[in-house]
Amino acid sequence: MSHIESPPDTSTDPFSGVPIGVAEQDEAHEFYRAMSIVRSVELEIEKMHRLGRMSGSFHSSIGQEAAAVGVCAALRPTDLVTSTHRGHGHALAKGVPIEGIFAELLGRASGVSGGRGGSMHLHHRRSGFLGENAIVAGGVPWAAGAAWARRRRGTDDIAVAFMGDGGFAQGVTHETLLLARFWKSPCLVVCENNGLAHSMPSERLFGPPGTIARMVEATGVLSRYVDGRDVMAVARVARELVAEVRRGVPAFLECSVFRVRPHSLSDPDYRYRPRGAGQDWLARNDPIANLRARLESLPANRVARIDREVAEEVAQALERAEAAARPPASASKWFVYSSPELQNHA
Amino acid sequence: MRELKYAEAIRAALEDEMAIDDSVVVMGEEVGRLGGVFTTTQGLIDRFGDHRVLDSPICEAGLVGFAIGAAVEGMRPVVEIMFSDFVLLALDQIVNLGAKVRYMSGGQFSVPLTIRMPGGAGTNHGPQHSQSLETIFANVPGLVVAMPSNPSDAYWMLRHAIRSDDLVIFLESKNLYFRESGDVDERSGPDGYGARVVREGHDLTVVSAGRMVGRCREAADELAAENISCEVVDLRYLWPLDTTTIEASLRRTGKLAVVHEAVEFCGWGGEVAAWVSEHCFERLDGPMVRIGAERVPIPFGHHLEDEIVPTTGRIVAELRKLAAY
Ligand SMILES: Cc1ncc(C[n+]2csc(CCOP(=O)(O)OP(=O)(O)O)c2C)c(N)n1
Ligand SMILES: [Mg+2]
Repeated sequence: MSHIESPPDTSTDPFSGVPIGVAEQDEAHEFYRAMSIVRSVELEIEKMHRLGRMSGSFHSSIGQEAAAVGVCAALRPTDLVTSTHRGHGHALAKGVPIEGIFAELLGRASGVSGGRGGSMHLHHRRSGFLGENAIVAGGVPWAAGAAWARRRRGTDDIAVAFMGDGGFAQGVTHETLLLARFWKSPCLVVCENNGLAHSMPSERLFGPPGTIARMVEATGVLSRYVDGRDVMAVARVARELVAEVRRGVPAFLECSVFRVRPHSLSDPDYRYRPRGAGQDWLARNDPIANLRARLESLPANRVARIDREVAEEVAQALERAEAAARPPASASKWFVYSSPELQNHA
Repeated sequence: MRELKYAEAIRAALEDEMAIDDSVVVMGEEVGRLGGVFTTTQGLIDRFGDHRVLDSPICEAGLVGFAIGAAVEGMRPVVEIMFSDFVLLALDQIVNLGAKVRYMSGGQFSVPLTIRMPGGAGTNHGPQHSQSLETIFANVPGLVVAMPSNPSDAYWMLRHAIRSDDLVIFLESKNLYFRESGDVDERSGPDGYGARVVREGHDLTVVSAGRMVGRCREAADELAAENISCEVVDLRYLWPLDTTTIEASLRRTGKLAVVHEAVEFCGWGGEVAAWVSEHCFERLDGPMVRIGAERVPIPFGHHLEDEIVPTTGRIVAELRKLAAY
């Protein structure tokens, strides 16, 4: 018998969530702030693209904020994260500076990757954010190996690999889970099941939410499912898993979330789902609005102040990022090799 | 100084680097108890333990991705891919992550990883175990491509690769493992990325790498009897490409042939020829000649293989024509 319960259908069940207890108040406010930052950054990026002030591809994580924030709440600053093409939320939740992300998307020298990575290649070593990887599931073994190295070098840091439901079809995901178990890598693979891999419904490919977690469980890897609309629940389950992972075994977590926006900016999603599907879902399930409502029922809530602070922080970061300089043309050839004798060879 | 076979030199290099640097770990299929299908990791597990010599399940992509993760976090993994043909399963991790994570991250990470693999024909392994895929890697920015032709280079180039902070694709020749012996001086030191003139001559320059260097030397010996003097350049590395040594040789000879086991069409010989054409056109006294494998899979039987991969006989014939031009 599986211990993974059958989850609610997040595409239709309205979501309420349990009331916030007094002991959880401060943390819930912090989660609210962190999720609001992700949402606000993603909305600003959309706006910048509309205005023609940003270019390149952009995969919005709106609707998935609770997964990023809840999982990263279980981590320490020295823990590591790898991510995907849809990784702004993961970066922000792991503590990558907002300004560095905006600057990167604007191709500025002060961007976290010096303006040569862009939206799908955020990297920030100081925050423990190894980076995004735009190859579906490509970042999964990277996290497992990095976690293993940390352990070999005497720390008890762990690594999280975020991936999507589409990434669960990739062989390298399964290879990594096997390797991580065999070589005792302390890594947590987090599958954000947002219902779609571009136009491919995960329900059609795998079955209802929770199926992926069960498939992993059947391989003997510690595996859980959580409703990714509820940041409190995600954080709770992530902490349980992270405690196990820190002991030196890999684990897996499926979070059901929803891809509110089209796959990317240019994606005609009306061809494969009803128009307005994203907004409809958000109206009933928005993880941020939901937490806000739960916090507002507390007399000592600070949500209005947090909203103001987030708006200001994000606006200032964007302003500074836009004002920053572009890298010199010569920077296009920097950092191809580490060895000094190879650097002038490009 | 010891006389070692090519395979023994590889094994010695691994052992000697592991002995001085705890962060060096060996990962691959059959590298542990078995000691590697070509004996190149024999005994390492006894000396260093199974926490430094790790038998991998058969999952090249996961393995290489894992090793990249370990490398960016301070280990110096040496991955063995059992046959170079199997590295194709790991190309995504190599090309899309290992080769460019330093670049993509603006220099925040480096990848001190060596991926060793035996390639080439000459051992009757058939079409999926005999390819020479080096051109693929030479085309990818961020990679170093090493191709030692003899035991001393196998030893020192491998030690150099392990110490390097860059991702090195280390292409061994399985045909040479037990056929090629030579002196290895463990007390000298790595020799840098330069090419080497392994035989001096004045009529023409033959540029080669890996196993074909031996065939070029044999061809040069035969032609010497006909009073044709060939200079043989062993590139050692396809990237970085030592154009200085090529150019200096060409100044002496005025004629160029490039010999490789990889497919001739779009092969790296074309790159060498193009470089020479762009930079040393005035030095040329004849057409540049490429001698590579036919654009055909490598067949199993030796007599069929000899129709595809450059033989000493074919090299002699081509060089003779070039000398007469
Ligand atoms: C190996 C690979 N194949 C295809 C693509 C193109 N692609 C980018 S995202 C995507 C869908 C991924 O779905 P999922 O893993 O569920 O992530 P989501 O986009 O839903 O966040 C595809 C097919 C890619 N980037 N990498
Ligand atoms: Mg998806």
